[in-house]
Amino acid sequence: MTKRIQLFCAWCGPTAVVVALIGFIIAGVLPLPLGPSNTTEKVMSFYSHDTRVAAGLVIATLGMCLVFPLIALIGVHMVRMEGRTPILTFLQLITGAATGVLLVMPMLLMTIIPFRPDRSPELTVTLNDISWLLFITPIGPFIIQNIAIGTAILSDRTRTLPRWVGYLNFWVAFLFVPDILAFFFHRGPFAWNGIFVFWLAFVAYAVFLVAMGLVLRKAVNDSPDTAPVERVASR
Amino acid sequence: MTFGYSVHAELPDFLVTDDEVAPPRAIRVKVNRAPSANHTPGEPGLWIFILGDMTLFGAFFIALMWEKRQFSTVFQTSAAHLDRPIGAANTLVLLLSSYLVVAATWAHRRDEHQRARRYLHGALACGVVFVAFKAIEYTQGISAGHTPTSNMFFTMYYVLTGIHLLHVLIGAGLLAIWGMSLRGRRSFTASQRLTEGIAVYWHMVDLLWLLIFPLVYLVCAA
Repeated sequence: MTKRIQLFCAWCGPTAVVVALIGFIIAGVLPLPLGPSNTTEKVMSFYSHDTRVAAGLVIATLGMCLVFPLIALIGVHMVRMEGRTPILTFLQLITGAATGVLLVMPMLLMTIIPFRPDRSPELTVTLNDISWLLFITPIGPFIIQNIAIGTAILSDRTRTLPRWVGYLNFWVAFLFVPDILAFFFHRGPFAWNGIFVFWLAFVAYAVFLVAMGLVLRKAVNDSPDTAPVERVASR
Repeated sequence: MTFGYSVHAELPDFLVTDDEVAPPRAIRVKVNRAPSANHTPGEPGLWIFILGDMTLFGAFFIALMWEKRQFSTVFQTSAAHLDRPIGAANTLVLLLSSYLVVAATWAHRRDEHQRARRYLHGALACGVVFVAFKAIEYTQGISAGHTPTSNMFFTMYYVLTGIHLLHVLIGAGLLAIWGMSLRGRRSFTASQRLTEGIAVYWHMVDLLWLLIFPLVYLVCAA
């Protein structure tokens, strides 16, 4: 039974990407998200499709919540790597929980924007800025999570997970670095909707979720099913 | 069936699996020190990171050239303000550091730990010189009024060299870790993956600068 739950958690990774993508497309965030250089009219007209935008963002938010089961499953495998003092496991769980909140909170804020389409335009623009910058810039917990996972995998002698996954995590951590530039630019490749900010982070995080999901699915399938009941009986 | 409960006393039961209780695998001992022809430096997985990171810089270079086409006069006049002698000096400094890392790898491979450490200290010193030159360059640029938000050229310049500088700092930290591990006089085979990985990473940092210098300092000014 635990094996089935673990497999479910593994599939949550790729599913989170798919559901979030569908939600973003329904809301109109994709293919071309709003940017910091957009006029007030553009921002107002985007949120004037209130029901569609809100519905899409609700779907995307729920999809992003699927990262929580994946983080838990990563934690279970990291405990196996670390054994008696699973410090990196705890670090991954703490930062992983934070990343989940940091994904969901800005999305909830963005969903609140179309709630009152008749509010004054400056407030809508401000709320739009807040939700986008809050969504893009808090890279710290993401980077620490990736480094914790990568370090645990590379220092694990039992090869619980393949070593390339460790290096993949380091790479993903680097790809988040340009995101902080979103605070400084209103247009160009380093604005929040720029190629090196939104798109790079989106691709990097999607690669992380899909790769971790598939690798963990294989690890779960290859591991012997340990039923807790047998364990108690054999003691 | 016996379980090593004393060993796993601090683990909750549900986390103890049978394969953890199994005896540890025998450690492979390689005798041949020289790398064979089909040996992958470091390990294959490392190259996901190396090539992935170089892809990111490749995308930066494409963006740089794209923006140069759009703002060609701005790029020409702005790139002329860069301090080319410092950039060229930094190129030589990094090339020298790469040579020292190669020398350190070979010394380590022959178990000459003292000599390897000296080479690594040299490479680290080169890294410090690089960072110092970069700091001078940034101070000059900013005091002359060229900030990252001045125009698209300076945006690209500060972001590219800044992220490269982050790589240099991480690389210097890794070289220091390698140097400290040499104090333990561990044989090369025991630390091959780590040391070769660090060496490859440092060469990548060098290679990236060899592309950044001509593209940003020379091509953009042309």
